[in-house]
Amino acid sequence: MNGVDADHGDDHVPAVSGQLFPRIELRFGHPGRGYEPGEWVTVEYGIEGLHGERPRALERSALWYTEGKGEEDLGVHAFERFPTPETIDRVVPEGTFAFRLPTSPLSYEGVIVKIRWCVRLRVFFESGRDHVSEHVFTVGRVPPSVLP
Amino acid sequence: MRFPRFFTKKRGHRRTDSHAWGSFAEGLFYALLFGAGIVFGLLLVTGAVTYAPADPDSVVLQRGYEWWMWLLTLLIPVALLAFGGSGLVRIVRTWGKSQEHRAAALRAVILDGLVGTPPAVSGHPGVPSCDNLENSPGIVLKYRLPLESPENWTLVGFGLFALLWNAVVVVLAVGVGADLVGGTTDWFLIGLLVPFAAVGVGGVVLFVRSAVLSTSVGPTHVEISDHPLVPGMSYDVRLGQGGAHLFRSIDLGLELEETATFRQGTDTRTQRLVVRRVPVSRWQRVQPVPGGSFEARVAVTIPNDAMHSFSSENNAVQWRIVVRALPDRWPEFTRVFPVVVLPVKAVGPAASAETVESLE
Repeated sequence: MNGVDADHGDDHVPAVSGQLFPRIELRFGHPGRGYEPGEWVTVEYGIEGLHGERPRALERSALWYTEGKGEEDLGVHAFERFPTPETIDRVVPEGTFAFRLPTSPLSYEGVIVKIRWCVRLRVFFESGRDHVSEHVFTVGRVPPSVLP
Repeated sequence: MRFPRFFTKKRGHRRTDSHAWGSFAEGLFYALLFGAGIVFGLLLVTGAVTYAPADPDSVVLQRGYEWWMWLLTLLIPVALLAFGGSGLVRIVRTWGKSQEHRAAALRAVILDGLVGTPPAVSGHPGVPSCDNLENSPGIVLKYRLPLESPENWTLVGFGLFALLWNAVVVVLAVGVGADLVGGTTDWFLIGLLVPFAAVGVGGVVLFVRSAVLSTSVGPTHVEISDHPLVPGMSYDVRLGQGGAHLFRSIDLGLELEETATFRQGTDTRTQRLVVRRVPVSRWQRVQPVPGGSFEARVAVTIPNDAMHSFSSENNAVQWRIVVRALPDRWPEFTRVFPVVVLPVKAVGPAASAETVESLE
């Protein structure tokens, strides 16, 4: 089962009732979360509210995905998985994640096709459930499309 | 333990229920298919059904199947085994893995060259390949762009429809003719033949009209001085329009089109939408040289803030040069020449294509 913590506007899906999910705070190096292609992105994060439950694994990823009328497409640019107790202690409850952006695709706000970039942190617990936190940022400065 | 909910509300692209239960149910479905394939195949191979349907009292000791009969008989169990088996393997491979993990693993396989990677411009993920746009040299300028004409597909569609429909009409007509020769009159068949023949004639008329339209207005050629294109840069474009008619107007411009492919029930649909038009040039009262063509050379500038070309499995953002012409006595036609626009120059050296790292 999944918990989702989406940090890109007002889309917030609450945790399943009766279960406590952690709160993940993530800070981008640029306060405006706007980056240029080829630029380095550095994020710092902190995971709170674990309530003594030990994470089984942590995944950090930087990816783009499409939104809009079409089926969702997704491309992972950077992916790190920490599945062992030795490695997970280095990245929980806080850590930093850095990656260099590619030249494309740029963030795009089209009419029926939108491209978004985000950093996702996914925590897997011993109980089998997992919790994902998504933090959107922009790449490039393409203005939104409007119908001619 | 929480039991699955079979009717859940979908929130955007996210499922609200357990992924594990979903994968389990999917795996069960494929396992059932695989099991059915095994049982069905064993029944056929071991000969559990060994009686002659035409003579149930006889015991069949040896069946006289030809090799092609075996192939035909085993088609269903083999299909069940292949479909169920491949689905089970996919479920096992992705079990417990997150969406990002699966995508990263697929990317790693692609980087290893084991799976065909979607064609893209080197160093620009998501930008479609322009190999097919650069394999034809121009007469004056560097490249001659290939034509992507929706009218050609319409013509093919009309042709196929006319061919298939009239094949049915011929079968019906032969049946009616045979009856008449034999001295009987099947009024129902004759009544069916009349509307079918009318639709068939209509199909042929549509096809011929489309064929005349597409051939009589003459070919359109577009050449460009360089490719792929970069925002903020200008390029020479040479237009050639053949034909012996007077054109009331010819327009040349740039368009940005979004394409989204989505599933609606069991159908797969594609929606296209032009979200930006950049007029470049307009000519009025054009009369091509007899035996030659109208030719013009213009500068096309890609807007500074242009979105680059993008293509993924279900979504695309494509730039194209569009020629719209209105002949004097024919309907307007549109001819489309796709181009690839690269993203703006990156800050510093570009990152490697896809960084995939796993700390196991």
